[in-house]
Amino acid sequence: MAADAPSAPTAGPIPVRDRRDARWLLIIWIVLSVIGCLLVALVWGPHLPPGRGSSSAASQQVDFTVLGTMATPVVIGVLLYFGWALTFWRKPKGDETDATPLHGNTRIQATWIIGTSALVLALFVYGTIQLIVPAGAGSGEGPNPIWKPAGTTTSSLTSWTPGTSNILQVQVIGQQWAWTFRYPQFGGFETTQLVLPVNEPVQFNVTSLDVIHSFWAIQLGVKADANPDLNNVAYTTPQQIGSFEVRCAELCGIWHGSMYTTGQVVSDANFMAWTKKTAIQLADVTKLLPPYALTYDPTTIPAGKINQELGLTSAGGGYYNPADPVQP
Amino acid sequence: MSLPARVATLVVAFLAVVAGVIYVVFGLIGQKPAVEDFRPYAANGSVDVTMMTAPQTTVSNKPDWVSYFIKNPSTGQFDHTTYFEVPPDTTVHMTIYGYDGCTPLRNPLWGHVMGVTGNAESVQIYNGKTLSAPQSVSTFDSWSNCSVQHTFAIPGLGINVPIASPPTVAENNALCTVSPCVGTSAASGGAPHSVATFSFKTPSTTGTYRWQCFIPCGGGFLDGNGGPMGTPGYMMGQMEVYA
Repeated sequence: MAADAPSAPTAGPIPVRDRRDARWLLIIWIVLSVIGCLLVALVWGPHLPPGRGSSSAASQQVDFTVLGTMATPVVIGVLLYFGWALTFWRKPKGDETDATPLHGNTRIQATWIIGTSALVLALFVYGTIQLIVPAGAGSGEGPNPIWKPAGTTTSSLTSWTPGTSNILQVQVIGQQWAWTFRYPQFGGFETTQLVLPVNEPVQFNVTSLDVIHSFWAIQLGVKADANPDLNNVAYTTPQQIGSFEVRCAELCGIWHGSMYTTGQVVSDANFMAWTKKTAIQLADVTKLLPPYALTYDPTTIPAGKINQELGLTSAGGGYYNPADPVQP
Repeated sequence: MSLPARVATLVVAFLAVVAGVIYVVFGLIGQKPAVEDFRPYAANGSVDVTMMTAPQTTVSNKPDWVSYFIKNPSTGQFDHTTYFEVPPDTTVHMTIYGYDGCTPLRNPLWGHVMGVTGNAESVQIYNGKTLSAPQSVSTFDSWSNCSVQHTFAIPGLGINVPIASPPTVAENNALCTVSPCVGTSAASGGAPHSVATFSFKTPSTTGTYRWQCFIPCGGGFLDGNGGPMGTPGYMMGQMEVYA
């Protein structure tokens, strides 16, 4: 009976062949990792989205490049080990013997735990810095933003001049299914066009008139949810003259996929000319808009109340409030 | 249960699920309203398209939903659809009969005529008043007057045209009750209504351009945005531009 019992595994010296394989794996991994990291950082990185169209986009591209570069040795290591195992460690036909038993190795375990912990903590610090330094990295910070672009103020909400510390205010309004943009510092006109000056910090005040949308200016690296009755602030500084896409990034109804437009980044002079021309073109409707506010409550539409008081029973008959009726 | 019986039950259940999925995908979700083809009727670079808004859709299984109708260029009848085809690079002369009552705009910006020829439309009912003759106007004030019922907007082309509503309370309470609103009966075609005319140029590139109403007019739905506002064939549709 005792002779049939399996023998307990015993630790022994690592075979010469395994040590040779490990040495070659390490050399090849280091060489490929250096090449891969250089390619990712220097060749691929500058082409990673969202590009360098704005301060926040540029910082996001750097982040993607850093993360991509850090991930490269890991990916190469996994694929190399996988390929090596398939190629050189195949079991010969007819070989029925067991594999070499594995045992704990304190040095390897400690290296793994310390190494991965250091990596995660470094990424945490790096990520936090990359969120704070570029003033929220183009994401919505809610109604009371903590991180603001350095050197900017909101000294005037009714006027704006290029090259001053007074930050440009642009209100983004989502409605099923279109974006509109309001410029309070230029008389408060509202338009379907989003035009921004280059190299000027911008404060987006994002809100919605109905359901939740998400304002995503792709090449600017700006993304902020548009919530009804809430102002969501995001910052960026456009750095390149040209166009950028704006999409809704929150499923908002049947035409969600069509809720997009194209924005323009132009020179200061062209921006000022555009605001002047647009303010004149939209003067008739601007005076009908509600006073500029950070959010709008459609239930306070005066005509809606008037119509209801008049007893209109048509299909219109006034504003349909959120409880008309409550849907299951 | 015997093995053949279990296999048969499994096969039948599987086929039932497949049939259900196919029905939902093609029968419900994939259902597309009829498309009115105006391309054969284009001449000299222009084409006439006539539409109508109605306060209800008595010809459908949603009789209490507001809806657009399109006049079939062949039969002259108003069909319950919101899909139409027009040729590229062509001036569309649009006429919209507005038989619905007023609803204030959620966003007054949509009271501004945009993206059409002259950035104006021709109306005889304007801001709660009936004019002596049709006039070209560019901005409606729906918050001060019971003046707008719906809009016709093609966001992809920057087009937005508010449709005037009957000006008085009495008229708004005596709307068309049978759709489409045709004929001379006071309950149908003779009911109070507005007429808006405007023109716009179709793009030179072919494609599909969705259009919609910007007034949340889905009464009975959360915020007025559901029902007819979110269903093809009612207050939204597609303009298909093909040669």
